[in-house]
Amino acid sequence: MSIFTGKWSFYVNGTLLAVMIVFCLYLFDDTVGMSDGMVVISRYCERAAQEMMVEKPPPLDWQTGFLGGIVLGALAAAIMSGNWKIRFFQEGASGIVIKSLDTILSGVIGGFLVMLGLQLAGDSFLGQWAAAMQLSGGAWVFLISCFVVAAGTAILLERRREGGG
Amino acid sequence: MMIAALTLTGNYRLAVAILMGMAFGFLLVKSDLIWRKTCLNMLLLRDGRLLKALLFSMAVGCTLFFIAQRFELVNLRVRPGYFWASLIGGIICGFGVALCCRVPITAIAALASGRVYVLWSIIGMLLAVPFVQIISGWLSNSIYNWSEPISVHESVSSYFAINNPALWIAGISLLLVLFIHFALGGDEEG
Repeated sequence: MSIFTGKWSFYVNGTLLAVMIVFCLYLFDDTVGMSDGMVVISRYCERAAQEMMVEKPPPLDWQTGFLGGIVLGALAAAIMSGNWKIRFFQEGASGIVIKSLDTILSGVIGGFLVMLGLQLAGDSFLGQWAAAMQLSGGAWVFLISCFVVAAGTAILLERRREGGG
Repeated sequence: MMIAALTLTGNYRLAVAILMGMAFGFLLVKSDLIWRKTCLNMLLLRDGRLLKALLFSMAVGCTLFFIAQRFELVNLRVRPGYFWASLIGGIICGFGVALCCRVPITAIAALASGRVYVLWSIIGMLLAVPFVQIISGWLSNSIYNWSEPISVHESVSSYFAINNPALWIAGISLLLVLFIHFALGGDEEG
């Protein structure tokens, strides 16, 4: 069926995203977000590294359950739409060494900065999006500054890449 | 009977959270939010598809939340926002998004879609948590002290009241969707 294999239009995606965020507020009386789940996983990893052993799996609460659900849902959607592909390097650079360095550095530094910014602002990206729908001034400051800086930096990096070949 | 937020607890909360996570994961793939290329094209203002979806969700979400709150189906659930913390957090997060084109939720979904290299981004995200714990004392005495928490707006009785911010946000978002649709396009696949 094309509904599972094809892409969905922007108004379908936008409407579903909004409905699901508000529906989660109704179901859980809380905003769903990945940061809380990531914090649980990070502390679990920290403890396992300190004790040099993995005794039991990380705690399964509703936030880590949501995280697991995303894995299952994304896996199903990617397989159904034929987008499930193993990729070890991101697109862009050529040459195995440059490609590896580009993938590792932009991944680790980028991920670190994303989570650092989210932790400073006090919520996950989805949480900020849900808070913006609830007209939170802090969430709007966060989202606007994030998009402006992300777009500006991406444009500068792209120009530099094109200029440098 | 009084209508109120369902507020699931215990195993029901866990089971429904897993189901909602599955629905979100499915939607993230179908909306192309998890792919590096489409996210980068959005940031480079080359493709308007994602921007339109996000702005449309904001317009619908603001309106839906307003209606749901009026019927007492949902409660306001916003963590306290500090101006400087939100601004600096947004700037730092923006630099990170430009580098890896991912936020936590899209990173997990992309990894599930076979993009193994996203593990590096997830490692970076996991490393940031203990780092914030280490500097939390300094943060409490500086960034979080520079301004008072931003107060939440007072609720308005009518959606079409001129002082209703939800109406303004929905209207401006829809106008931006129209502008982006004609300026950037990007819904060929729809």
